[in-house]
Amino acid sequence: MSVLSFTPHLHVHVSPILTPKPKPKPKLNKLRISSLQTFATPPPLPSFSDPFVLQLADSLEDSLPSSSQPLPLQKLRDFSSQTLLSTPWPSRKDEPFRFTDTSLIKSSLIEPVSHSAQFLDSLDVSGDTQFPNLIFIDGFLKESVLNLSNLPDGVYLGSLLRASDRIMERVSKFIGDFKWGDLFWSINGMGAPDLGVIYVPAGCKVEIPIYLKYFSVEGGNEESKKLPISNPRVFVLVEEGGEVGIVEEFVGKEGNACYWANPVLEVVIGGGGKVRHSYVQSQSLRAAHIKWTTVRQESSSTYELVEVSTGGKLSRHNVHVQQLGPETVTEVSTFHLSVTEQTQDLHSSLVFDYPRGYSRQLHKCIVAHPQGQAVFDGNVKVNRYAQQTDAGQLTRSLLLEPRATVNVKPNLQIIADDVKCSHGAAISDLEESQLFYFQARGIDLKTARKALVFSFGAEVIGRFPYPSVRKQAESHVKQLLETAYDSSS
Amino acid sequence: MAALLPCTHFSSAKFTFLPSSSSAITIPALRPLRPRLNHRRRLSLNSIRASVSTVDSPLASSTDGRDEKKKPLLQVTDLTAIIAESRQEIIKGVNLLVNEGEIHAIMGKNGSGKSTLSKVLVGHPDYEVTGGSVIFKGENLLEMEPEERSLAGLFMSFQSPVEIPGVNNIDFLQMAYNARRRQLGEPELGPIEFYAYIYPKLELVNMKTDFLNRNVNEGFSGGEKKRNEILQLAVLGADLAILDEIDSGLDVDALRDVAQAVNGILTSKNSVLMITHYRRLLEFIKPAFIHIMDLAWNIMNCCGFGMT
Ligand SMILES: Nc1ncnc2c1ncn2[C@@H]1O[C@H](COP(=O)(O)OP(=O)(O)OP(=O)(O)O)[C@@H](O)[C@H]1O
Ligand SMILES: [Mg+2]
Repeated sequence: MSVLSFTPHLHVHVSPILTPKPKPKPKLNKLRISSLQTFATPPPLPSFSDPFVLQLADSLEDSLPSSSQPLPLQKLRDFSSQTLLSTPWPSRKDEPFRFTDTSLIKSSLIEPVSHSAQFLDSLDVSGDTQFPNLIFIDGFLKESVLNLSNLPDGVYLGSLLRASDRIMERVSKFIGDFKWGDLFWSINGMGAPDLGVIYVPAGCKVEIPIYLKYFSVEGGNEESKKLPISNPRVFVLVEEGGEVGIVEEFVGKEGNACYWANPVLEVVIGGGGKVRHSYVQSQSLRAAHIKWTTVRQESSSTYELVEVSTGGKLSRHNVHVQQLGPETVTEVSTFHLSVTEQTQDLHSSLVFDYPRGYSRQLHKCIVAHPQGQAVFDGNVKVNRYAQQTDAGQLTRSLLLEPRATVNVKPNLQIIADDVKCSHGAAISDLEESQLFYFQARGIDLKTARKALVFSFGAEVIGRFPYPSVRKQAESHVKQLLETAYDSSS
Repeated sequence: MAALLPCTHFSSAKFTFLPSSSSAITIPALRPLRPRLNHRRRLSLNSIRASVSTVDSPLASSTDGRDEKKKPLLQVTDLTAIIAESRQEIIKGVNLLVNEGEIHAIMGKNGSGKSTLSKVLVGHPDYEVTGGSVIFKGENLLEMEPEERSLAGLFMSFQSPVEIPGVNNIDFLQMAYNARRRQLGEPELGPIEFYAYIYPKLELVNMKTDFLNRNVNEGFSGGEKKRNEILQLAVLGADLAILDEIDSGLDVDALRDVAQAVNGILTSKNSVLMITHYRRLLEFIKPAFIHIMDLAWNIMNCCGFGMT
């Protein structure tokens, strides 16, 4: 297991460990060559030689099991390592990272986690016994706690390694290529030790939700600067007319452990299919959590996302939804909460290329700490052939501290001419008139504030399709707000 | 007199003109429009007065027609207030006495300051009191926080209740009711007990139970908002309920529901101060006193009319 270190500014006098190794390992060399071959014109040189990324790639490669991988995963790794090596670590000068400081990661000693199957088996993590689940420990799939009995025939839930040839074949059709990815996407693609798969055959409606639980067990503390990285990855394929609900939950073992979760979820929804996606991010308040969710929607399919993110010191969700056919329905509702010195970032992109798509996006965030921050970059792109698209986007931010910051950049790019698009952004404190309404009924100001702050997020929380998820998110958010209030007053 | 213009709503109105002993009317009384007052109407008003009497003893010997045995509940004296933001004077010397068990009405043109007066009384932060006094149940109301005023038994139904997305109506009511119980030193009610308590009150305002599971006022029709205000009054109770245009935007049936609910809450002890533009409400809830807010919105002419 190799270790990375970093000094915040790349001076000439860097610590020896930062300098690229004089003689790169052969395998890395190979990667570099293949990377060069991909590009007709060589990629710009400076990006090619980011020593930090080089080392990270190296250590990820070292950490992977040497056994041969199924083809789709190998394809993904090759593809990712190529792009990885030509992508420099993002800086604040890069537009997508203008407001999101990733130096927390860069200044740490990054350690890819390796777990043996025996170790995973020995861990006692309780999955939900009621619903089928896939459990990830630091990015590794723990298969022993699957609860598959309730799933209809033909539905597959598990590692790609054990999937049938047919499913393997279907998945490989979609895997690998994703031109909108960033460095973190590639890091996951290269470092994912396994690929979790949810497969729903045509016409099959899965009534019960499937849980994806991601635990971070390894963790450093602030003094050690150690930052274990995990790269869980899941692929959801719903065939024509199929329906499924998935619930992703991210938690850390301890409330203040330092680790870096770098998950990716890919979703492909066949014609007329439907995916209800619930995503709850309750990582340690010192963790880095950078997630990608990419969705491809065939004609008349529906994708609904409800997200509540409260954890992480640096948390970012990149959502990319792409149409593969007309008349898609997309609903994205997200709630981000910053109660400590934390950054909550949502970068979403909805791309319409076919007619009569419909989308509704609601993003809400609360920043309740003077050093807290929220970032929202919401792009909706309505391309030439996406006539009669109906896209609505609304973002509301609540700043509860004078110095709390929020950077919102809602943006609509419309090329088609016959479309209905709306967007709005509001940043506010609590509404005086609402507070007064409480007081006028005998409720004191502090209680009123708490209720209103909570209600702000409740609009999104209430959209979780499953009561258990809703209740859990409610009480978690309530508790965080309670502590935030107690410490501020 | 400009202050009298709203009288036209009443055609053969059932109230009489009684100059108040209170000093606030000194200014409006001197206003040039005063001669417009129709003398005949004055007479007819006088003549009907007795027949609509709602108070035990009609005109007492005192000039304002009040029963002096009654205990004062709210006593407003020379109240002046400004808009906090613009520092503009908006209430310019109001006098008002409401005794226990009395029903009063305030009428007046749009923008004459009726809602502002109500909001000043319940402590709305948009306004600052600059002079005068308000005594409620023997205590200085102006020193109390808005929630303390509510807990002391002063209730105001908002003319335009604000929508509170994300806050469940029943949770809100429970929060408010439990705040009251805490104040009284009684144990708070849990969700189930509270539901049992509130259920019969729903009938009172003729609302279905799903009303409780909606967000406070969110997407409510005008009538639903009014009913919700009255439901809150029914749940919390009040010694003095200020009802700001509880009747506007209601059809006759809804108006009857709301009026019935209000009447159902009334006892011989508690009082109502209702603000309205329409006579029909006064047919359902019969006031003993009608006050007219002056046309010039920032000058209050109060206690101009008494009806017994
Ligand atoms: N907070 C405020 N800021 C600015 N102007 C205000 C404020 N409150 C009241 N006003 C103004 O004061 C005047 C009186 O308003 P108010 O709402 O009290 O009238 P009203 O008698 O209740 O009218 P209506 O019959 O239409 O309800 C209006 O012109 C209103 O615009
Ligand atoms: Mg008004």
